Amino acid sequence: MFEVLIDQFWSLTIAGIALGFIYVLISLGYTMVYGVLRMINFANSEIFMWGTFGTVITNRDIFHYTQTSEPAKGWKLALVLISALLMSMFVAALTAVFVEFVAYRRLRMKGTNRLATLISAIGISIALAELMRLLTDSRPVGSPRVLEKMILTEVWGANIRLDTVVTIIAAAIIYILLERFIQLSRMGKAIRAVSQNEDSAKLMGVNLNRVITVTFLVGGLATGAAGFFYITVFEYTKFNIGFTMGLAAFTAAVLGGIGNIRGAFLGGLSLGLLEVYASAVLGTQWKAVTVFIVLVLVLLFKPNGLFGEAVQQTRA
Amino acid sequence: MNSKIQRSLAVVSAAALVFGVAAATNAQAAVKTYTIAYQGPLSGGEASTGIDEQNAVKYAAKLFMKKNPNIKIKIVSVDDQGDPAVASTVAPGTGSNKSILGVVGPAYSGATIASLPYYKAGGLVMISPSATRVSLTDPASPDFGGPVFHRVVGKDDLQGPALAKYATTGVSSAKVFVFDDQSAYAVPLRGFVEAGLKKVAGATVVGGGDSVPNTTTDFAPTIAKIKTSGATVVIYTGYYSQAAIFIKQLRDSGSTAIFAGGDGVFNQEFPKLAGASAEGSRITGVGGLAGISPKLEADFKKQMGVSSGVYSVESYDAANILLEGIKAGNTTRAKMLKWVKAYKGKSVSGNTIKFDANGDISYGLFAGFTTKNGVLVNTGIIK
Amino acid sequence: MKLRNYWNLRDAGAQLWEGSNRKGRVTIALSAIVLVALLPFAGASFLATPIAAYDAVLVYPVGVFVLMALGLNIVVGKSGMLDLGYVAFFAIGAYTMALMGTLTSLNTWQIMPFGIAFAMVAGVLLGLPTLRLRGDYLAIVTLGFGEIVRLIALNSSWTKGPNGIANIPMPPDIGPLEFKLDDQKVFFWVVVVMILLTIWMIRRLSIRRPGRAWEAIRQDEDVAELLGVHTLKYKIWSFSLGAAVGGAAGVLYASKNLFIAPEMFTLNVSILILACVVFGGIGNIWGVVVGATILGYLPDRIRFISDARLLVFGIVLVVVMNFRPDGLLPRKKREKIGERAQARL
Repeated sequence: MFEVLIDQFWSLTIAGIALGFIYVLISLGYTMVYGVLRMINFANSEIFMWGTFGTVITNRDIFHYTQTSEPAKGWKLALVLISALLMSMFVAALTAVFVEFVAYRRLRMKGTNRLATLISAIGISIALAELMRLLTDSRPVGSPRVLEKMILTEVWGANIRLDTVVTIIAAAIIYILLERFIQLSRMGKAIRAVSQNEDSAKLMGVNLNRVITVTFLVGGLATGAAGFFYITVFEYTKFNIGFTMGLAAFTAAVLGGIGNIRGAFLGGLSLGLLEVYASAVLGTQWKAVTVFIVLVLVLLFKPNGLFGEAVQQTRA
Repeated sequence: MNSKIQRSLAVVSAAALVFGVAAATNAQAAVKTYTIAYQGPLSGGEASTGIDEQNAVKYAAKLFMKKNPNIKIKIVSVDDQGDPAVASTVAPGTGSNKSILGVVGPAYSGATIASLPYYKAGGLVMISPSATRVSLTDPASPDFGGPVFHRVVGKDDLQGPALAKYATTGVSSAKVFVFDDQSAYAVPLRGFVEAGLKKVAGATVVGGGDSVPNTTTDFAPTIAKIKTSGATVVIYTGYYSQAAIFIKQLRDSGSTAIFAGGDGVFNQEFPKLAGASAEGSRITGVGGLAGISPKLEADFKKQMGVSSGVYSVESYDAANILLEGIKAGNTTRAKMLKWVKAYKGKSVSGNTIKFDANGDISYGLFAGFTTKNGVLVNTGIIK
Repeated sequence: MKLRNYWNLRDAGAQLWEGSNRKGRVTIALSAIVLVALLPFAGASFLATPIAAYDAVLVYPVGVFVLMALGLNIVVGKSGMLDLGYVAFFAIGAYTMALMGTLTSLNTWQIMPFGIAFAMVAGVLLGLPTLRLRGDYLAIVTLGFGEIVRLIALNSSWTKGPNGIANIPMPPDIGPLEFKLDDQKVFFWVVVVMILLTIWMIRRLSIRRPGRAWEAIRQDEDVAELLGVHTLKYKIWSFSLGAAVGGAAGVLYASKNLFIAPEMFTLNVSILILACVVFGGIGNIWGVVVGATILGYLPDRIRFISDARLLVFGIVLVVVMNFRPDGLLPRKKREKIGERAQARL
């Protein structure tokens, strides 16, 4: 039962960390919005899905890579990767702001019940997924290989691959940048102020609408970056990938303590590792069951997640 | 007041009923119109399969109408999303719509089982191009589809051993790792593959296999299992899109094990999605239109505007059986059912189509395909 | 003002109801029931659904959705707990019917109590540890529970895994009423009876102690606890009553469908039922009925735009929620009418 885990421990761990970082970035999209609005941004999964297409379009249609072309090298590689990353972030951020504008804003202004907003968000996420389905003819879309997946070195019997290393390092950098933005910038402070107390923040002259738009924007940027890494690692997307990834990332956010940015970080990484280990030990078919049971157990003992709620607590 | 409303509503609905019936019977003109249905996933996650199959049915009808200008064929699209829950809401409508003489489909076995009771009740003949579950034509099973169910595709217990044989060809004392995607298609097929492997000399099943939900894109744990088990052959019984993700990850992990898959993987999209990683993969499948007759394929593309898909030959054959039946004057459901039961004709693939008592065709030979330079190449029938 | 009132069917309806005496109310209720019971005969009117059979659509999705939405409404609407795993109880009911129906010689009506009981037990088992959680944490835990039930059905051999269970027996005839596949009127009437029983149960409970306790919990749980309401007990009650309705719906669904498979019980069902509740008017029985009817019926009615119908469905959800955030028939206003009527007395 455990022989796979023992035999392949380090390769599993590395794969789990890479997957975990993708979860971290998506769960930032959930956590940011939750911190400010106290609401699950149900459409975040589809924001992620749209983000993946940003990278595919950049690789395939702007730089004309095909399945058979050679992977990029040197400066060209950096150029393509960075444009793809920016494109994904741009597409996702745009989608996120659009979602906020269409599904949230009016309801928030009216100050109505949370469930109405939830259903509105579910509606927009169905519409976004279906629109992409119609655009892609329900077919899976492969992305050409831009970053060569060469094996850099071998550590403890595990292959260290270039794409995994790039994903882990770049995702960590993006995470740190976002966290610093929330901690240090004026806008970040405003976001934290709103998440602590909306009314006092308003009294202090914070422009609520702008703060909320920026929150969605930043959440979208993180989610879009996740889309880029997802394509870089898996080179595949489809209109329905958002659901599974979104559910996992949302679970990660809750595991860490939703609304808490560091919670999203640790929740995402733990979930990535947990999924990989559970699949190796129990079989992939029990992965989701294990994840949910662990989640329930964590919540039983720590009802606000591993690291507690709310953006403002990141200071602690 | 309320009883008045009731009464008038009853009158209105009764009137509507009468008019509806009258409108339906009026549509008889000099050119006779007959209706057949295609049932399969036309929206939702599996839509591409259904759209491909329906295109082949439409193509068959187009050719037929060109040859028989006095017969007009109407094709009703019955969209079950490949989902048994949806199938059981659309099947009663198809079953009770008496103008439908026969159904090509359903595409999937689960949707077929959900639809069966309604078609049995309506005496509506079905010819599926792609429902391969064994129990559908097994009289001892609760899923048994007789007398209405027929299929023009080989079932899993033919394909499983063929896949096992093809995957291990030329590999001495093969260590085989088999895994599925948890779908109703893949799990039974995996069973037949494993049974088939027992009959292959020297082959052993290793690693205990895996079941990977078909929404998973991270195959690292499965690959870890494959490496631990030291498998030399990996067989996946799921669909092509997951197979493409998997094979890329397997090759990137440095493994050189032979990869093999069943007809779910058999799709020209597979090498397209997987690129160079797919080279040398061994897939069992049925000869698509393009593989069987490039001339027909060219015409298909001209007429339909798109290339033909995976089960195009089967869908085309299935539609033709019904269309020939209409031409032969079998314009009631009972006659059509009899016609299909007694049918003897040639498939576009050259095989003879004749259904046995349970609705299976007499052939069902699977061909082995291998990926060469980004396309699946037929290596001939697996014996 | 006049025009607003004209559109405001909800207030007009509530006024009519509150304004009538007992005899008037009985007449209104009876004629409404008769009208609904006549629905299967309206199959050739503008109501007809292309492709899908109209009478089958009335049973599932419409009837079953209404039933499940009413059950979920006890949890979400009455006591304010967000449950995203309601499909679990539906699945438990359906699997009870499928397994007992194919393995024993019991019929649907004899299995019904078992289905309800198993669903309730599951509700209590889930509720005991998790109902201490609030809001979105409860939502994700219930969501997880729903997925766990489906995955266990998918991964176990006694449920026949992904193959599902076929040949589930139909219900035995009730006197002259025959259950038929090609004409599902009788199924529809059974669903209507089950819906009426559920409505009756909810109305009875709402005006008694549990209803008041739920209302208190929904408005402010801490205050309710402080005032001596045994919140956990009433939350579990609400949870298991909701589960019971879901289980009953599942038993009937399996018996009507004759075949079930795990893929019928995905998270999408939970979300759709929740959408029915909120769309129609959370907490208001009639709103929930209307919402579930529309959302169950709409996708099949608009099949002519076949490929884009889910896109349209999503857009409809957004638009309606934006312009009627409390649902089509919200609760608040109706209560206000009641208060006004009482003030007049």
